[in-house]
Amino acid sequence: MSVVRRRRWTGRLRFLAIAAALLYVLLPLYWVAVTSIKPSDDYLAVPPVWFPAHPTLVHYAAALFAYRGLAGLSHSVTVALGATLLSVLLGTPMGYSLARFRTGGTHLAFWVLSQRFLPPVAIGLPIFLLYRNYGLYDTQAGLVLVYTVMTLPLTVWMMFAYFRQLPRELEDAARVDGCGWWQAFLRVAIPLALPGIAAAAVFAFITVWTEFFFALILTSRHAFTLPTVFRSFISFQGAQYGESSALAMVSLVPSILLGVLVQRHLVRGLTLGAVRG
Amino acid sequence: MTPLAPSVFLPTGARGRTAGGGRAAWLERRIGLLLVAPAVLLILALSVYPLLYSLWVSFVNYDFLVPGHAFVGLRNFASVIADPIARSSLATTVVLSAIDVAMEFALGLGLALAMARPFAGRGLVTSVLIVPLFISPVIVGQFWALLLQRPFGPTDYVLGILLGQPVTINWLSGFPWNFLALILADVWQWTPFMFVILSAGLTAIPDEPYEAAEIDGVNGWQAFRYITLPQLVPMILLAVTFRLLDAIKLFDVIFMMTGGGPGTSTYTASFFLYELGFQHFHLSEATAGSWLFLLLTAAAVTFLVRRLLRAEAAQ
Repeated sequence: MSVVRRRRWTGRLRFLAIAAALLYVLLPLYWVAVTSIKPSDDYLAVPPVWFPAHPTLVHYAAALFAYRGLAGLSHSVTVALGATLLSVLLGTPMGYSLARFRTGGTHLAFWVLSQRFLPPVAIGLPIFLLYRNYGLYDTQAGLVLVYTVMTLPLTVWMMFAYFRQLPRELEDAARVDGCGWWQAFLRVAIPLALPGIAAAAVFAFITVWTEFFFALILTSRHAFTLPTVFRSFISFQGAQYGESSALAMVSLVPSILLGVLVQRHLVRGLTLGAVRG
Repeated sequence: MTPLAPSVFLPTGARGRTAGGGRAAWLERRIGLLLVAPAVLLILALSVYPLLYSLWVSFVNYDFLVPGHAFVGLRNFASVIADPIARSSLATTVVLSAIDVAMEFALGLGLALAMARPFAGRGLVTSVLIVPLFISPVIVGQFWALLLQRPFGPTDYVLGILLGQPVTINWLSGFPWNFLALILADVWQWTPFMFVILSAGLTAIPDEPYEAAEIDGVNGWQAFRYITLPQLVPMILLAVTFRLLDAIKLFDVIFMMTGGGPGTSTYTASFFLYELGFQHFHLSEATAGSWLFLLLTAAAVTFLVRRLLRAEAAQ
């Protein structure tokens, strides 16, 4: 086979692979989107209905009101915003301290990182017992605290990496001008790090927004978040296909939009800053 | 590519110029500690303390069905270790996460290579391909249950047309199809993770070796085998390590798609411990089991991170 012909074949193979990947990614998304607007009569039609002739929004109404999706949505927003804010407020100073002062050496940094790999069930069981004793079970505050700890490795390490690659000349200049370290941190480093803080915040938000396990075990009727509402739609019970799809759309649209917004920082977000994208 | 280990160029900070008395000077001197204190305290309160508490729980009787907290020694550990379901769920966890991560790696690498050279619309395609990363695993489980489940899901119908004969596969309850379904869902969600990291690794490889290789008449496979792959090794280790450490926690997709069933055949370690603790309320057995699971995880973390750091150092 000549070189030119081989090139053309690998070129075709390449686009075939990309097309297959796109199909694999989009097919479930499309099926859920279309199911969310499909009248119930179309569920069991043979052949399956790919384009509903009479789209409807009744499933959205049912998911949000009858299945308490709206309450879950509002808890999710509160808890995710609260945990993100707290995580960034605590994580940014720690990241700065690790980067500028090497506080605790590599041990402290890796200790925080190791929290990221703890099995949730190992933490979840005792927290469940403790929360019951301290009145934090089934409260949004309790969930905010757990999610803050859960996202701290992310925010600390992303900011650690960010401050390390930030030139320190400006802080040094500020200190020569008579600023202390606190002022150099608050007035110089923080403003320079705002893009990094924003990216870390978005990743923390998405992490909390999509989290299921802790919400499942630490909440019940009062503080349940959006992912836990899907319990009502578990595959082997009932047939609320439209409702579950509608609620899935409500949940995934915000996090996908946010995620694509910070796509530039994705490599750093996925590797906790270990890799600069 | 940047190293994982913190760099060494930093001075010790605030000593020196502000040394002396007074509260302001103390604040200035202690800034390093003061900046880490809030985060460290919260982690101590909500991660370290609960873990120690659970260590106590695992040595006593703590069961919503049996009153009192009598010390029972190693009985909880013994009964978990003796439990055949615990063993089979651990085996399922190991096998399932290995298959998941291997497939995600292979597909992610293939996709990263296919997407390596620029083409019109590459940015848009990338944006679409990463979408699964931002979706709750619960919803991913829901997606695949919808697609696969009989009689509603279109999968059996489409397969029937493709194969020219009726297909009636019980994707969520028939072996081995239920495992295939779980793998499909996990691979769907996490292949983009591999793709994104490996793409970053490919981008970081300089052009010169390839140019030299082209002059020497090296073919595509050889270039991949002797230039791309060696340069990519640290990135591969990083991606596989991160992914594997998450894969062994598999819970959400099981919860939504199979509920661990039929029977207990698709129990993972996390799902087993959840059932034990939160459905059967054998809390001390569950904490004993989760300590064992934690130790196994820690062993895996130590092993993998060591290898990762060694590869970084070798670069």
